[in-house]
Amino acid sequence: MIGRMLRLFWRQMNVQLQIRTFNLYTLLLLFVQPFVFSAVGMVLSQVAGNQKPDLVYTVIGGGILGMWSGLVFSSTFDIGRDRRDGTLEFIIGSPTPYSVVEAVRTLTNVLTGLVSLLAAFLVAVLVFDYTLDQVQVLPALVSLLLIVAGMWAIGVFLANFLVWSRLSGSIVEFFEFPVAVVCGFMYPIRILPEWMQAISAVFPIRWALEGLQAALYGVSDMNFYAGRWGMALALGLLFWLTAHWMERKVHDLIRVSGEMSSI
Amino acid sequence: MSNNAIEVNQLHKEFTTRVGFWSGRRKTTVAVEDISFNVHQGELFGLLGPNGAGKTTTTKVLSTLLLPTRGSVRVLGMDVVTETRTVRKRIGFTFGGARGLYGRLSGHDNLRYFAELYGLEPALARKRIAEMLEVVDLTERRNDRVENYSSGMVQRLHLARALLHDPELIYLDEPTVGIDPVGARELRQTIKNLIALKKTILLTTHYMAEAEELCDRIAIINHGRIIALDTPASLKRQVSGDTIFEIEIDAALLDELQRQLQLINHRLTIQVSEAYPNKKVNVRTDQPEAVLKYLTLFISSGHVHGLEVRNHSLEDVYVSIIQGKQE
Amino acid sequence: MIRWLTRYVRLYFIQAWFAYRSLFSWSTPFNYFVSKFGFSFFALIYFVFIGQFVGLSDPLYIVLGNILMIPATNGVSGISLTVGNERQFGALSYLLGSPAPRAPLFLGRGFFHILDNFITVSVALPVAILLFHYDASQANFPLVMLCVLITSFTTSGMGFIMGSISLVNRDGWMITSTLSLALYILVGVNFPVTALPGWLQSVSYSLPMTRGILAARMALVGSGWDSIASLILGEVLIGMLYIAVGYGMFLVLERRSLVNGSLDSL
Repeated sequence: MIGRMLRLFWRQMNVQLQIRTFNLYTLLLLFVQPFVFSAVGMVLSQVAGNQKPDLVYTVIGGGILGMWSGLVFSSTFDIGRDRRDGTLEFIIGSPTPYSVVEAVRTLTNVLTGLVSLLAAFLVAVLVFDYTLDQVQVLPALVSLLLIVAGMWAIGVFLANFLVWSRLSGSIVEFFEFPVAVVCGFMYPIRILPEWMQAISAVFPIRWALEGLQAALYGVSDMNFYAGRWGMALALGLLFWLTAHWMERKVHDLIRVSGEMSSI
Repeated sequence: MSNNAIEVNQLHKEFTTRVGFWSGRRKTTVAVEDISFNVHQGELFGLLGPNGAGKTTTTKVLSTLLLPTRGSVRVLGMDVVTETRTVRKRIGFTFGGARGLYGRLSGHDNLRYFAELYGLEPALARKRIAEMLEVVDLTERRNDRVENYSSGMVQRLHLARALLHDPELIYLDEPTVGIDPVGARELRQTIKNLIALKKTILLTTHYMAEAEELCDRIAIINHGRIIALDTPASLKRQVSGDTIFEIEIDAALLDELQRQLQLINHRLTIQVSEAYPNKKVNVRTDQPEAVLKYLTLFISSGHVHGLEVRNHSLEDVYVSIIQGKQE
Repeated sequence: MIRWLTRYVRLYFIQAWFAYRSLFSWSTPFNYFVSKFGFSFFALIYFVFIGQFVGLSDPLYIVLGNILMIPATNGVSGISLTVGNERQFGALSYLLGSPAPRAPLFLGRGFFHILDNFITVSVALPVAILLFHYDASQANFPLVMLCVLITSFTTSGMGFIMGSISLVNRDGWMITSTLSLALYILVGVNFPVTALPGWLQSVSYSLPMTRGILAARMALVGSGWDSIASLILGEVLIGMLYIAVGYGMFLVLERRSLVNGSLDSL
């Protein structure tokens, strides 16, 4: 069983990398979008009279935005393409549950997005002399892991809307930027109005991201991390469970509507 | 389990779609209306009908891709609604057209991916992929990207994909659509070979000759309803045992021919069509001898440019049934 | 001559209407508004918060810039998608095989997007002025609207170029729409073009919108026609150049398709 899952994981990833990841568009998406937003942040910082941009938020935050946009774009594109090319029907018609296929695919997309974060990190270190001395390595790694898990959970949740119908799928694109706005990728949550902070509290990535940002700034208070990680974990689990519940519903809905073959 | 691989009982399928940008009004379309039929184990069963008749919808319900609005469908003894995953393991299906494969992957990689989705162990997958590529004659092109395949090759790859996990029951939805005659003949031979392997096949097609050549029994479906179901031979008998004469004559002699033929008057049907500069007269009769006798005289006049005598083909039966002209 | 002209104009508008409708035909009012405003609106808010975080006290510059950017984000992607879709849905051969004159066939795709974007900005701008309590007593509104109309038109040229690229490359639309994000840096949306390094400023001034946005900003603080006339003229010239290049690319592609017959392959 585990062997089969691992093989499926490997095969799905392989297919994903061949048809999706290794092309110019994906590379552009992973580098151009974060670059644009980071660059705007840096110039704005300069216009505001700062000597140097805030590296954690403005530069590395751009990488997080790249990861997130990459995930939303890729998922939207993947399922849209499967619908258009007619492969969606054949995948859903196979004995492997579509949720498993989608879970692996989303994970591939999130992991690919790490390239964007890595690039932003390298820019911070190599171009802006960001020093790693103060970084709390373990909390940073745990937080990053939780960001990946949180994005994955939201990704599989959103995939349901994309499979459901082309119409509901367009909501997913709408979801991309509001989440980026409230989760504080490129600025601290505290500058948002309180009602926005309340909205952001439902997203696991917001909590994991606060952990990562604190670790990069060198915060050593483990209680701070424990609270964030706990929230990220619990909310990630909640998203995943909701996604799992939805998958069954959507599987029935598309078989009533015949939406999986509509282009 | 009964001897039936497929048992369809009062299957009804409707679709609801939104109409208009602002109104959000909904429209219900009935795709399949209370149809019932059984397909026996090892049988090649044909589902024939015009575009939009409900063939593909029926096939999709049978392959668990659509839920029936009401009615029951059992496949290999299992309910397609409640035992979805088990059904999927034991069936294979293809839909006509070029869609449904990853164009950027090679034929071989497409098969490897689907082998994984069907849970084939690696050693078995390797063996089956090689065999299936051989069956559909794509071994040499296996490493080419599917986007560079011809439509016939794509169809054959679809068939290989559907057969990978050695299913007991196979649905082939218009498998020869868009394929050249040689390719279509090869594909038909492959389908015959499957029957020799005791597979049960449900074939939907537009091509009557194909259905006549392959199918043990045929259901003709129109506007979502089954309007005829029998063996090809019985269907042909059902319509009539008439003989058909197709005569091409000078246009000027048409009236004379028609008048004389009507004098024979043995429940005779005459249809005239253009065959510029001549006319083509299609005569259907249960008294071929009398017609032939008269035509022999007519031929000697030198104004007959072509004559063909034949019995009903399945196509005649189909057209007759679909047009509601069954006598 | 008159018949030829009538046919030309009729084809332009028929093309315009069907291209626009086909892009949104499957949509609902909610999805339509989401696709039109979703990205632009939240990108605006995102930049405002980034500005606030780095210490900019007044978000108005960013707000106005992003509203004036709406024609670019909607128009460029809408038009390029409308052109690029022909390839996706395999309709290109039929279109190129028809005897219809090419110019209205191609340029018609932009009309409703231009109109739509003009109306969008005309609504969004007063709303933003009211929301952010901007003192618009000095603003020369007819001139502002003229600038908006002109930028809606000039950005269509960029859409045509990107649409043509997406006819050659199946990922073209996504590539160009990602690259068009660079406009957020280059055309003076979030900060003045003068904040950029000199060489980048030359790039900025070779793009549509840079002059149009600047002219609109000037008209908003009360500048008259005399002060912005040269900017508007420059914007129109750049826009026409882009449209001409886009159309030229389309003709080249058509020629190429006759040679290698590869345009409909996916």
